[in-house]
Amino acid sequence: MPVKKKIPQIEATEQVEWAPRHEVKEHAADMRTTLDRMKTREGVIGYILRASTSATVDIKDPSKIIEYAVLSTSALESAESVLEAFEMGKMGSVVVEGKDLKVLLLTTDEHRISVFMEKNVDHNAIYKELTH
Amino acid sequence: MSETMYATALKTALFEIKNVCPDVNHAFILMENGTVVAADDQPLDPSLEKAVGSIQDLAEKSASIGGLGEFVIDAEKGKVYVSQVNGMYSILALSKRVDLPFLRTITNIVLPTVLKVLHGIDNPETSISTPLKSAPIVPFSVLKQASSEPQVNEEEIEESFEKPEKLEKDDEIEKPESVEDLKIETETKKADEAEETETETPEVAELPSQQLIVDKFGGLMVRSDTVQVDFEILDRWASTLNVEEIREVDVETFRGKTTRCKAKVINDEKLQGRGIIRIPEKACDALELKRGELVRVKPVIAEE
Repeated sequence: MPVKKKIPQIEATEQVEWAPRHEVKEHAADMRTTLDRMKTREGVIGYILRASTSATVDIKDPSKIIEYAVLSTSALESAESVLEAFEMGKMGSVVVEGKDLKVLLLTTDEHRISVFMEKNVDHNAIYKELTH
Repeated sequence: MSETMYATALKTALFEIKNVCPDVNHAFILMENGTVVAADDQPLDPSLEKAVGSIQDLAEKSASIGGLGEFVIDAEKGKVYVSQVNGMYSILALSKRVDLPFLRTITNIVLPTVLKVLHGIDNPETSISTPLKSAPIVPFSVLKQASSEPQVNEEEIEESFEKPEKLEKDDEIEKPESVEDLKIETETKKADEAEETETETPEVAELPSQQLIVDKFGGLMVRSDTVQVDFEILDRWASTLNVEEIREVDVETFRGKTTRCKAKVINDEKLQGRGIIRIPEKACDALELKRGELVRVKPVIAEE
């Protein structure tokens, strides 16, 4: 008997004019999925994903959450004020490197993302994955 | 040394970095006491003061990642590179197309060197530990001999102490040598041997060397065995070594790879006097070198 080949079916959702759009929510879910996938990479310690009203934190060492949150806020604020001073326009990515670890920070329209990792991890690859 | 002197020296260093890297638009140094030194004489505007303050704040909050080492911002119209040097922070505003590894190399060489020199002037007792010239190559045998010397002397002393007891009956020995005499003897021996080694070592190697930044170049007519070095460097080596000209150089990478190449003067005027060595792409590949890396270059004296 011939084996039936399963064909994955894509559920196409058509947006009607009168219905509320759910793009932002979907985008946040996508981003979280990407970050979760990235966290499984060797050397990636965790991430902080902030939206305007909520935040998702996934850090391997929970005792460091507050310190990392403070650092990421401070780094983004600092980057914004430096760019304002030098009139360099919109922020792309920010990398803060310490003796032990480094952090990649980026902002999208709705989110502020911080990915914490070991120094030997290629942050450019992570940045590309998050932005494309 | 006064703060003004420090500031002037750092200002000059920043100015030189700007000269070497034309992509540096603004350059500042945030000193440990919060003073900001700028490459140009323009006063700091309030927004810049705020930015500097925020970097200080970030440095304080970076303890969780082992302190603030580097802070790189990639923006729409350019980049900002902040790096920590001996407790100070260099803040460089750069154009979008900047070669960051090259700039990183320059900054990490120039600023620590200047700070080290300033520190050396400030505290003459803790003089600069890094030799300006390359250390003369001492043959392994000499090193081995030197390191084993004290043991030999101790043995000699012990033996000579034992001797009087063993030869008590021997009438020819009138007095056993005192410890002081023996010490003096060994010291004079040491001094004599040291003099000998001193006279030997300068002949072994007194070749000058220089650390240069790698710049790759290629093309159809480029010979892979010929590197280009500043005329001034080649001329200085030629006069130091009392030779007509330097035809060959040894290029040594910090990974330990070495090659001998023919040396020519840099033919591009824009690249002269910048402390770079132009190495053909093939040679770079063989030495596993990238643009912006450092190599040690030594002249080779032609055997006649």
